[in-house]
Parts: sequence; C-alpha cells; structure tokens
Amino acid sequence: MTAGIADAAASNAGRGGSPAGGGAAGNGLEITGLRKRFGAVRALQGVTMHAQKGHVHALLGENGAGKSTLIKILAGVTRADAGTVTLDGAELRLGHPRAAAAAGVRSAFQELSTIPELTVAENLLFGREPSFAGRVRRRRLRARAAELLAGFGLERIDPAAAVGSLALGDRQLLEIVKALREPPRILILDEATSALSSEDSAWVLRQARLAAERGAVVLFITHRLAEVREVADRITVLRGGHDVAEGATAEFSDEQLITTMLGRRMERLYPELAPHATDALLSVRGLQVGARVGPLDLDAARGEILGIGGLQGQGQREVLMALAGATPWSGGTATMGGEPFHPRSPEAALRERVALVPEDRQREGLLLTHTVRSNVTLGALRQLVRHGFLDGRREGQTAREGAARTGIPSDRLGALAGTLSGGNQQKVVLAKALVGEPTVLLLYDCTRGVDVGTKAEIFTLMAQLAAAGTTILFYSSDLSELVHMCHRVVVVVEGSVRGELAREDLSEQSILRVAVGTEEVARA
Amino acid sequence: MNLVLDYLRERRTTIAAYALCAVLFAIATIHSSGFASASNIRQLLVFASFIGFAALGQTLVVLAGGLDLSVPWLMAFGGLQLSNWTSHGMGGVLGIVLVVAVGAAIGLANGYGVAWLRVPPIVMTLAVGGLVQAYLMSIGQLNSSGNQAPQIAESIATDRLGPIPVVALVWLGFAVAAGVLLSRTALGRRIYATGASDTVATLSGVNVKRVRLVTYMLSGAAATFGGVVLSGYVGSTYIDIGAPYLFASIAAVIVGGASILGGRGTYWGTVAGALTLTVLSAMLPLFHLDTADLEIVYGIVILVGVAFSRLGANALQMSRRGGGEEKPADPEVVDVA
Amino acid sequence: MTSTTIDSTAARPAVPPLRRLLANSGLSLTAVTTATILIVLAVTDFILQPALLEVTELGYLAQTALPLVLVGAAQTLVVLVRGIDLSVGGIMVLANTTTAVWVGEQGGNHQLLIFAILGLAACAGLLNGLLVAVGGFEPFVATLGTWTIFNGLALKVLPTDGGAPPPSLINFVFGETAGIPNSFLVLAGVFVVWRILRASKLGTRIYAVGADEERARLNGTSVVGVKLFVYALAGLCAGIAGVLLAGVASSGTPTAGDPYILTSVAAVVIGGTSLMGGKGGIGLTMMAAGALVFISDIVSEVNLETWVSVAASSGLLLAVVIVRSLIDRIAERRSA
Repeated sequence: MTAGIADAAASNAGRGGSPAGGGAAGNGLEITGLRKRFGAVRALQGVTMHAQKGHVHALLGENGAGKSTLIKILAGVTRADAGTVTLDGAELRLGHPRAAAAAGVRSAFQELSTIPELTVAENLLFGREPSFAGRVRRRRLRARAAELLAGFGLERIDPAAAVGSLALGDRQLLEIVKALREPPRILILDEATSALSSEDSAWVLRQARLAAERGAVVLFITHRLAEVREVADRITVLRGGHDVAEGATAEFSDEQLITTMLGRRMERLYPELAPHATDALLSVRGLQVGARVGPLDLDAARGEILGIGGLQGQGQREVLMALAGATPWSGGTATMGGEPFHPRSPEAALRERVALVPEDRQREGLLLTHTVRSNVTLGALRQLVRHGFLDGRREGQTAREGAARTGIPSDRLGALAGTLSGGNQQKVVLAKALVGEPTVLLLYDCTRGVDVGTKAEIFTLMAQLAAAGTTILFYSSDLSELVHMCHRVVVVVEGSVRGELAREDLSEQSILRVAVGTEEVARA
Repeated sequence: MNLVLDYLRERRTTIAAYALCAVLFAIATIHSSGFASASNIRQLLVFASFIGFAALGQTLVVLAGGLDLSVPWLMAFGGLQLSNWTSHGMGGVLGIVLVVAVGAAIGLANGYGVAWLRVPPIVMTLAVGGLVQAYLMSIGQLNSSGNQAPQIAESIATDRLGPIPVVALVWLGFAVAAGVLLSRTALGRRIYATGASDTVATLSGVNVKRVRLVTYMLSGAAATFGGVVLSGYVGSTYIDIGAPYLFASIAAVIVGGASILGGRGTYWGTVAGALTLTVLSAMLPLFHLDTADLEIVYGIVILVGVAFSRLGANALQMSRRGGGEEKPADPEVVDVA
Repeated sequence: MTSTTIDSTAARPAVPPLRRLLANSGLSLTAVTTATILIVLAVTDFILQPALLEVTELGYLAQTALPLVLVGAAQTLVVLVRGIDLSVGGIMVLANTTTAVWVGEQGGNHQLLIFAILGLAACAGLLNGLLVAVGGFEPFVATLGTWTIFNGLALKVLPTDGGAPPPSLINFVFGETAGIPNSFLVLAGVFVVWRILRASKLGTRIYAVGADEERARLNGTSVVGVKLFVYALAGLCAGIAGVLLAGVASSGTPTAGDPYILTSVAAVVIGGTSLMGGKGGIGLTMMAAGALVFISDIVSEVNLETWVSVAASSGLLLAVVIVRSLIDRIAERRSA
C-alpha cells in the first residue's frame, strides 16, 4: 500500500497546486471566517479555506468536524452566522437553495436530495420541467431525462420509475447526474461513493475530474483516502469546526492526514483491551434479514469486542437491528449461552439482556423533549417498579449511576436531552442501554458526530465493559476504530461474512482488502 | 435554584393553563362579584366535570400520539344504553359498571385498529364512532320509556357532599388517579415515550401497540362514564347529548398545554383547560355575548394559548442555554512529525 | 457502462401482468379500487331506481353531491401537503350565510358580491396557511381554532336558518346549460381544474412538499409558498361549496358545516389519498364522495332507516382503510 501512495504522490506532483492560503487571490472559492451554531453545538468556528477553479479539492475530517455544515451553507440549506463566501472575488448570496443554485452551486448530498415518491424524470429535472402554458409536458420530461441519463452512460435507469424503487447505488448515481445536469461553477460531492461498487466509484471520480477540467471548483468529501489520492489536487482538513490544515495532496501522508483529522495520536485514543473468554456466548447461523442480508454466521464470546466491518451499507445495520429484535428475521437461528435466541421485538431482546445503541441518536435513541433522567431510565422501567408504582428514589439513583458510569455531568440530569451536545447525547443513549446490565451490547456507529474527548471516554467504557464480561458487537464507519477497539473483526460484504480478521492481522488496509474483495481471508 | 427552575419548566404548560383560567375568573369576578359565589362555582365545577370526563381519555390518547373522535358517541352510548338496560330491569351500579365495560371494549376496538391494523386514529375512531352512532340510532326508536335517565346517574350528577357536588369529587378522584398514572407509573412513562417518538420507544423496549391499546380502552371507559353522569344531570338522554364534547374534549387538552402530537402535557393541564372553557362560557351573559361570540373567543383562546406555550418553551430553552452551556471539546493541537 | 451494484434490476421478480397493465394505462391501483366501489354502488342505485337514469334526476343527485365534493376537494388539497383542515366547515358556512344575508337581501351586483365572498373564503384559507406555514402551528390545532372563529362569524351573520340567497344563484344551481344540468358542469369543472393543477409544475411541487418537505426545500421549492397556495385554494373550494349550498337549500344554514368536516376526511380517506401527504388526488375524493352519496340514496330508496346509511358509510370507511393497510403491509414484506 505504501508503494501505492508513493506512486500517487508522484503523479500528483505534476498537478500540484498553489501553496496554502492566498496564492491566486480572487480566483476560485474563498471562504473566510465561517461560523455556525446549532443551539449548544458550535459546528463551524471560523473556517477559512481556498479552493481553486479547475481543481478538485478534498474536504476531510471526522464526522462532526463541520464538513456537512460547511457544504450545507454553500448549498444554501443553512445560513451561516458569520463569515463570507466569494467566488472569483464576488460575494455569493447563499441564503436559500435556489439562491445557491442560481450562483452555480450544485451538490450531490450524502443524504440524497431525490424525493423517493417522485419519478426519476421528475427528480432529475425538478425546477426545470419542460412545460407549455403551465402544464408539464410529461413525454418531453421523460425524453429529456432519458437523454440526460444516456449522456452519462446510465441508460439502464428507467426515467418513469419511482426513485424509491431504485437500489441505493443507483440513487447515488442519480444524485450526481442531477448535480451535473448543467455545468456547475461549484460542484460539491458529499460521500458520493459510499454505496457504490468500485466501477461506479471510478465513474464518480471521473465525473469529478471532468467537472474540474471544465473550470468548476470541485469539493470532494470522502472518508476514503485512496480516492483522495486519486482525484484530489488539494486537501483541507476540518476538525472540531476549525480548519486545521490545507495544502496540496502530495504534501500529506496518510498517517499525517489521519492524525490531523483525529487531533491526537491515534494510540492515545484507545485503551488496552483485556483478553476474553474463549467459548462462544452468542452464536448466529444463517441469519436472513429481508432479501438482501444473509445468510450470515457469527460467534461472539463473553467479554469479546467483535467488530462488524465492511463498507457502508453492506447489511451491518440490518444484522444489529435484527439481533436487537428491531427488525424481523426472515431466516436463521441463534443461540445465547446455549439457549435459543430469536427476539421478536426490542422488548424481548432487552429481556434477554441484549441492548442496542442505534444509529441515529436523535431519531432512534433519544426522546429529545424529555429529560436526561427520563431517557436513561426508559430502558429499565420494569426494574424500577415497586408495588405497582415507579420508585422515584430508585429512579433517581439509577439515573445518577448511569450518568456517572458514562460520564454525563450530574447537573445535566434534569436537562432536556435535546439541549445536550452530540457527545453527551450519545452518552445518554449508552447509559440507557447499560441500565439493564446487558450481557450483549450492540453498538451501531456510536462515535459518529461525537467529539474526540467523548470518543475516548466511550472507548474506555467499552474496554471496561468487555473486561467485566460484556459481549460487544461493534460497527463503526471509522476503520481505525475497528482496528484498535476490537478483539476480532468480521467483514460483511453484501449481507454475508466474507472474512474474519484476528487481532494480530487487524489493520485498516486488511479490513479494506476483504471489504473491497481483493483478498479473501479464510475463516479460522 | 436550578432544581426549582427544572421543576417549574417541566410543568410550565400546566401552570400556564391554570394562570389563564385564574385570570379569566378574576376578570369575570371583577365585572360581577356574584361570579365568585359558592353556587356559581359549584355550577362551574359540575359543567367542567363533564368536559373533564370526556377529556380524560382524550388526554391519554393524545399523549400517546393519537386522537379519539368517538368520544361524543360513547358519551351518548353511556346514557342511552344504560337507560335502555335500566328500563329492562338492569340498572343501578351494576348497570353502570357494565356499560362502562362495554365502552372500554369499544375503545379496545379503536386501539386494535390503530395499533395493530395501523389505521390512522382520525379514521379509526371516526368510523367506530359512526358505527356506535348507527347502533344508537337503531335502538333509540325501541326505547319506550322516553329515554329517562336512570336514578343512579341522576344522584351522582346532582347530589352534594356538604357544599361540594358529588360529581366534582368523582372528577377530582379521576384527576388524581390520572395524574398518578401519568407521573408515577411505568405505563405513564411509556405513554409519554410512545407519544414523543414511537420509534425511540419501541427500540427502548416499550410495547407501543399495547400502550396505545390501553389508552383507547381507558378513553372509551371514561367517555362512557361521562355520558352516564351527563345524562343524569340533564335528566334524560338523547343521541346528540355528546356532540359539543368532541370539540370541548380536544380543546380542553390543547388549552391545557398538551401537544397535539403527543409526548407532552398532563391531565391536570386538561383540568385547567376544561375549567377555562367552562368559565369562558359562563362569562357570556356577563358581557352580553351570545354563543356565536363564544365560538370566536374559543378559537382565539386556542390559537393564542398554543402560541404562548410555544413561545414560553423557546424562552426557557434559551435561558437555559445561556447558563450551563454545552461546549464541544476543542481540538488538540498536534505536531505533525 | 455496466456495473455491479448490490441490487441489480435483473434480480427483481417479474412484474405481474396486472400491474404492468395498470402502469401502462396511467391508472393507479388505488384509482381502480375506488372507481370499482363507486361503480358498484352506482349500479346498485340505478337498479333500484331506474327512474334515476334521467338527466334531471341525475342533476338532483349531482346537486346533493356538490357540497361534499367541493369540501372534499378542499380537504384533499390540504391533506396532500400533509395537513388537515378542520375549518372547511367553518369557511363553508361563512360563505353560505354571507351569501344568504348580504347578497340576496342587499341587492346590488350579485355576481360581484359572490366573487367578493369567494375572495373572502380564499383569504380565510390563506389565514390557515399563514398559521401553519409561517406561524408553525400544527395544522390540526390551527384549523381547530380558525374553525370555531369562522363558525362563530357565520352565526353572527345569520343566527338561524333563513336569509334569502339571490334567485340568480338558485336558478344557476337548479338550471341547465345546453341541456346539461349545471351541477354536472360544476363537477366537471372541478375535475378539469384539478387535472390542470395536477399536470402543472405547481402540482409537482405540491406532491413534493407532501411527500418529503425537507427534500422539496432542498430542491429549491418554496414550501411556504406552496402551502399558502394550497390552503387558500382549499378555502376557496369550501367557499364555493357554501355558496352553492345556499342555492340548493334556497336559504342560509349556519349549522350545516359541522357534518361536512369529518365526512370530507372520510371521503378523502375512502378515495385513497394518504393522510401522510404526497399521494392521491381530488379525482379519487370525488369518486368517494359519489360513493357516499349513492349509499345514502340507496338507503332512502329502500326505505331503510337512516342509521343503516350511517353504518354503511362508517363500515365502508373502515373496510377500505383496513384492506388498503393490509395490502400495504404485504407489499412491504415482499419488498424487504
């Protein structure tokens, strides 16, 4: 892999770019002192960066670093609290999506801006429908959409199909076609390859380069450093709402990038992992969830932290949700401690001491309008009942213990969960999951959008729980977390376990190799 | 001080509802001192209690994220069916218990449709209400005794225990029970969670279907009981007796500060809402207003009341933020080797 | 350019022939089921009352259906943007009573006055829109408040049944143009205007806002603008219903609004428009309104008591919703 980096660096040297900060002023996108707050969370704290026309500029940073807020401001979805954005010296008015579009900003959003209930044609040409006397000409609409798709080599997508019926990968491709239906002045690609095959990803990178060659400023947000090497001329790194580094791609090594993104040496984030028992506690055989996930086998021992790895969207979420009883199983069996285990609801799973920390803390994990205390105790109401009524004292005690264990400041117990920072919110969700003393803890991307300090606390807690015998199934979109926090990682590809990596073989590259399919690792 | 603020903030909408009621009562008393007389207050309490019974179930259902449009028909059912059974010899307390049980069963049907068949609450309760209406229309003809209210209902509605009307005491009892249910039981906590987000509630282990079912059953029972008492007060029962209570039950819940989407509010707030609506309606003759004016006033009170409770919520949110503010950790500076 | 993605289209099961036929003909399954319900009830009514199959008779039936169709149309519009309008009954009686009192008795240019009243109705709807889209009120709460306000205003204008709508209105409602009863023309007009709206860019925006408000905004739609338009148009439809009702009843009826509120919701739901927004349309509601009218006509023809009509309408509502819900869940399970 190092050889690869050197090659890429060498080929990038030719493309080169002006030195960071300034250079050809008035040329390209200048962002100065951008600030944005969402309630208690300071998403951007004075970001300044410069991206040139004709170049692909990668924007790197952890989740929660401020990348999405920055591009939302550029796309007119959110308004900045302070700061200026200029293109070629002229300030851009970006208060509303339409204003941004008029200024030439086109975005392919990570959360996809296509409306599932409308057709492909309606989505692609939204706002530009061919019409006559106010009436949309449907046949022309379909034909134009078909033309547009053909121009990108995507004839296989039916313009009359509802976008919701398409596969996620196709929806992502559509998102890019939509952004490119007219030549943009600023093109933003936000995690545009996350659900794509390697061929489709390559296509996206080509489109990015083409757009740059046609004179656009291209902002490319990704987690995949290999893509950055391949397509980006310059890099800006955001961390905690600040811009912390900017320069030509060739100037940074992968190690430097990761360190800059994380803000502390990788090793200091992660605690030591204690060895775990050898016999399996949880055994899953042939798990099927819906049509796309399965058959999947896995085993996890008491006190083991098992990583569920792989590229995003390969079925990891469905597996964890199924084990948590939140999604019905369409096949397969499992045992826990020798007894059959097949939870039909989260209630049933919790009774078996299997607790889930779900993906979206705001929409799945927390009642934002309720207090921290109520949220924490929600998971174990049964335990708090005495003679038919809730024991207020025990409830307070349980909440305080939960807060202490996860590091929530005790003066926040009466606060509404919605007023907490992302990191503290995640701690509340964790505390709730831990109240019932689970034997199996399912963690889905629990460090996403969480500040570094909280991450360290969560990792320490995970190590403690594992040392005390809790089995943890851990999915993270951050490969280095999997590498440092797991005893073992199973890599999921297209709904099944493609390979398994023991601790001594664990590295970001080895996980990626199995995930992307360039190496099949035999199961022990 | 923080603890006191927290306590107040958690009950802010309820407190605001009582404040509104008190202000209106004060205005009426200033205008005409007789408004604060014992007999008038008694009257207000009795009238408010009918709204209170209808709105009890409505509160629970709304808190869990639903709505019950079958309330007026269940009220009519309570009165008419009981009078029907009484004229066939099955009256008294047993009759009331039975009719309330049937009301609960009808509520169960509502709950089943909403929770298991995933029919939107507006539609399910509307349809079930219509079926109850049809049933009542069909038996209305058969009852020959002129739909006389049964004796026991009359006594509950009109008797007094000392200076306090029995019905007000019964209402108070229900209010205390509802308050305890909501704030001190696991079911209450689950109701709030279900209403706030049924996704989060389900993932946290709450059986959302069962919770919703229970709220609709309780609503059916409470509305039926309310109808029994109402018919006792009026002296006879007729099919439209519950009609004004559909609006009144929902308005009382909203004016009481609950969110129509669920997850926020208390029954004590609804009590204040019911009292407010009753006081407003009693103020009519004082200011030479007619029912048309009352309707306009009701609408304004609803809109203004909701606007204020939302403003209040935002203001308290902001003041809290000014205090113990959350700061995301600053990035550590690292030297790039 | 070929690529391998997780779900290649080849892996999907063959589309059943019925669905393909429907897709090609441009009709949705919902439209077909609703139309079937309407046709079955219509045919039943015609069999029971052969005398009905005559232009004037059908005209009377259309008159009976008109207010419900218009109020249903109003409700459909609001439901499409994921709202609900409880004040349609209030706007209707406000228009109704002002027509009966101010137009008939005061004299003057009747047409102009009626247009003014319709403008007032649209403004009333606009108020709803402002409360919901700008004020951030929940549609249920906002329209609950405005409903009693409009209802109260209507009662102030005309406390009890009475008033005298202008003869020109009454003649219009009961009259014919070129041999076709005007009530038909109004129904047809509603349908045509709906189809035009549906086919326009604004129509796409309305569905987009209802289906996914956030994404609609992301794509440049003025969500506030669309909602204001929809609520105002709904107010206008309710106003037309009220004006026409004055013509049908030859007097003002200030208490007539209430039953229309919930019945309009029933018509919307039976028709198949989703209460969650983004799916359905006025055509469906019109068919459902027709079905409800036929039910009550059948019941009165067979000399059954009114309760049968109430039971049948409620039963139909329940049956339709449950069946549709079950079908949705089976489809969900298949595609998982």
